[in-house]
Amino acid sequence: MTSELVNGYGEALVAVAKAEGAGPEVEDQLFTVARAVEKSEELQTTLADSAIPASRRQQIVEDLLEAQASPITSALISMVVAANRGGELSSILDAAVAKGAQSRGQSVAEVRSAVPLTEEQIQRLTAALNKATGKNLTIKTVVDEGVIGGIVTTIDDEVIDGSVRHRVTKLREAF
Amino acid sequence: MRHQKSVALVALTAFTVLLLASPASASEESVGSCIAEELAEVGVEHFEEIEHEVASGDASEAATTELEAIEKKFESCVEAPSPIIPEANEIIWGGAAFLVLFGLMAWKLFPAVKDGMDARADKIRDDLAAADKAKADALAEQATYTAKLGDAKAEAAEIIDDAREQANLVRADLQSRAEADIAETRRQAAAEVETTKAQAMNDLRGEVSDIALGAAELVIGTQLDRAAHASLIDDYIDQVGSRS
Repeated sequence: MTSELVNGYGEALVAVAKAEGAGPEVEDQLFTVARAVEKSEELQTTLADSAIPASRRQQIVEDLLEAQASPITSALISMVVAANRGGELSSILDAAVAKGAQSRGQSVAEVRSAVPLTEEQIQRLTAALNKATGKNLTIKTVVDEGVIGGIVTTIDDEVIDGSVRHRVTKLREAF
Repeated sequence: MRHQKSVALVALTAFTVLLLASPASASEESVGSCIAEELAEVGVEHFEEIEHEVASGDASEAATTELEAIEKKFESCVEAPSPIIPEANEIIWGGAAFLVLFGLMAWKLFPAVKDGMDARADKIRDDLAAADKAKADALAEQATYTAKLGDAKAEAAEIIDDAREQANLVRADLQSRAEADIAETRRQAAAEVETTKAQAMNDLRGEVSDIALGAAELVIGTQLDRAAHASLIDDYIDQVGSRS
């Protein structure tokens, strides 16, 4: 799938969300769903399987998100699945998050940590990243135990890795 | 040739006449005349009388002696001429025949014989010269063949030497290649052994480090408490904030 198509779907989702009067929490939920789909290969396969009727795949998405996401978030994701783009769902959702941030003059910074960050830590980290990159960043946090400790930040193609995992990897390379 | 034949015929005829006629007449006249002269000197009748007396045994000693003397004279007539000194008439006839024959020969035969001998000598000389020339040619040809044979032998020896040298070069080249291949094979084998050993050591080291670091990860993961996480996060934020 071309990036143009992914961006097109992303812009469409942002436009629909704005039309629906959705707030920033919808972006966070889209980002969280994108990470969940990334982690589950079975879910990716199911959503990309054209042999399964689109209505069935929509129903699966709605059942999964029913108690954890807003109706608008669920409807946006269901719309992508109904368009037979379930295989590219995580990319489309990331594009939507990026387009939403761009619409506010921001860039998305994906922050992975082994434990959830406190609000105070997020604010300090945002300020530090804004200062270091010179950009107006919006932080999207992901709890990843693989990090072990510390933080890994990804801004577009740039990675700032301060995780224990990274240090262990460097130590393994040194060996 | 015709002239030579006529001269030879004349000389042969004269020689035959002189040879047959002269000695025969000379020898017959010499014995007969000698006995006739002795009989005439003694008297035929006297001789027969003495001979009769001696035969009958009535002869005197003087008659016997006389008869012996007559018989000695007869015997002297019968005796052969000297083998060394010929009779005078033989010398005369022989000398005349010799002179005639010598004159004829000197006049006709000797020049012809000399011409024939000269021609024969010339022919022999020419034949000898031709033989010498043929011999010289043969020797020259032999020398040429010998030289060619020598050249051929030298060329053959040179070819053999070249072939032997070429064979030695090829053998040396093959040997050096084989040695180089062996050395390269040994070097590659040694390098492969070293690589394998290094790889094995690296794999072992990697596995050991993986095991050790895996254990360390587990230990770190289980021993990181909230405060430690917070400290790591704060350190990260401070480091990012210090970047410009």
